[in-house]
Amino acid sequence: MRSDDDAMMKEIARQLRAPLSPPVSGSFDARVMSAVRRLPRHSRFKLWSRLTTPRTVTFTPLSWGLLAASVALFAVIGAARAFDDIQVATKPMVTALFPKTAAPRPPQRVQFVLVAPDAKKVAVVGDFNGWDVDHAGYQAKHRGGGVWSVTAPVPLGHHRYSFVVDDSVWIADPTAPRIVDSDFGVANSAIVVQEQK
Amino acid sequence: MNRSEFSIVVGLLCLAHPILAQDARLSARLDKPTLAAVNAIVDSARISKLPTAPLIDKALEGVARGVNGESIVVAVHQLSLRMGSAKRALASNATPDEIKAAASALDVGVSVRDLARLRAMAGKQPVTVPLAVLTDLVGQKVPIPTATDLVLQFARSGVKDSDLALFQRNVRADVDQGADPTVAATTRARGLVARGGPSPKPSE
Repeated sequence: MRSDDDAMMKEIARQLRAPLSPPVSGSFDARVMSAVRRLPRHSRFKLWSRLTTPRTVTFTPLSWGLLAASVALFAVIGAARAFDDIQVATKPMVTALFPKTAAPRPPQRVQFVLVAPDAKKVAVVGDFNGWDVDHAGYQAKHRGGGVWSVTAPVPLGHHRYSFVVDDSVWIADPTAPRIVDSDFGVANSAIVVQEQK
Repeated sequence: MNRSEFSIVVGLLCLAHPILAQDARLSARLDKPTLAAVNAIVDSARISKLPTAPLIDKALEGVARGVNGESIVVAVHQLSLRMGSAKRALASNATPDEIKAAASALDVGVSVRDLARLRAMAGKQPVTVPLAVLTDLVGQKVPIPTATDLVLQFARSGVKDSDLALFQRNVRADVDQGADPTVAATTRARGLVARGGPSPKPSE
């Protein structure tokens, strides 16, 4: 009987000395928070978490190529635009340094005339005014006898233009070379403005 | 490509987008899909070293005429193709005005080969006015081979631009009065080349 008691006491002592299995991980609060973190998150927090959590990203050779091509496209277009901007920005300086070669080419004043006896309004539209029917500088005035005219500045070069009568009827200049335009199926007039010598 | 890489590429393109051509007039007048398509064509032309102003002007003209967006995109695209052909025909040092005038000539049926012949015949002289006159003659129903031969003849003879412009006006006046376009053009041309100057005005 005594030996049985000793054995039982030894077993109890062994059980008490043995480490707990499974081990308890931290406090109750920690275990609760761990369980909460495992729950599905709101998408807003998911995005923030994706942005702020350090991660390892793998790139394939193909995707590196696509990435490099995108960067190259970005750089080429940016450089082209910058070059244009630089040209515009440095134009006054170039003009000052090389007055003969880079002399400004001012627009020439061109008279547009249309005979339209029944018209209430006549405007000139073309490459030189952004095809803007309401452009103030290109509204013709009635000179009497059905003759409408306006003298307006036109930059040097080749331009397409047309008259617009009463905001609705498009008429090519009867006296100018005509461009039968297949794109919109209508005729425009052509004018080549050259520097006065 | 995984999601991260795709996001980076898309991000870069989004960053690049404002740098691409953005003409304020186009932005104000075109709807978004049309604007995006036109801007893409304009950027492509810029990279090909083609003049971009005519493309923008073409789109603006379409808006002013009340043409729908799809037709505007097609028109701008066709013009960019014609300008590309024109530039190749006129050589790389062609001016924007020459390319623009040559694109109009191609539009009425003048061949790339004839553009190259005119360029060769004119030497270093600009061909903008001869091309405008050629386009006008064809538009007045003068057969393309006849109109081309006349303009090549003018280039060979060194006829001045001002005389060419007067020739064009005289032919148009003759046609308006009922003359056959081919007869009017060849007759006026004969007088111009023979005298080495412009033919007299119709009223004279």
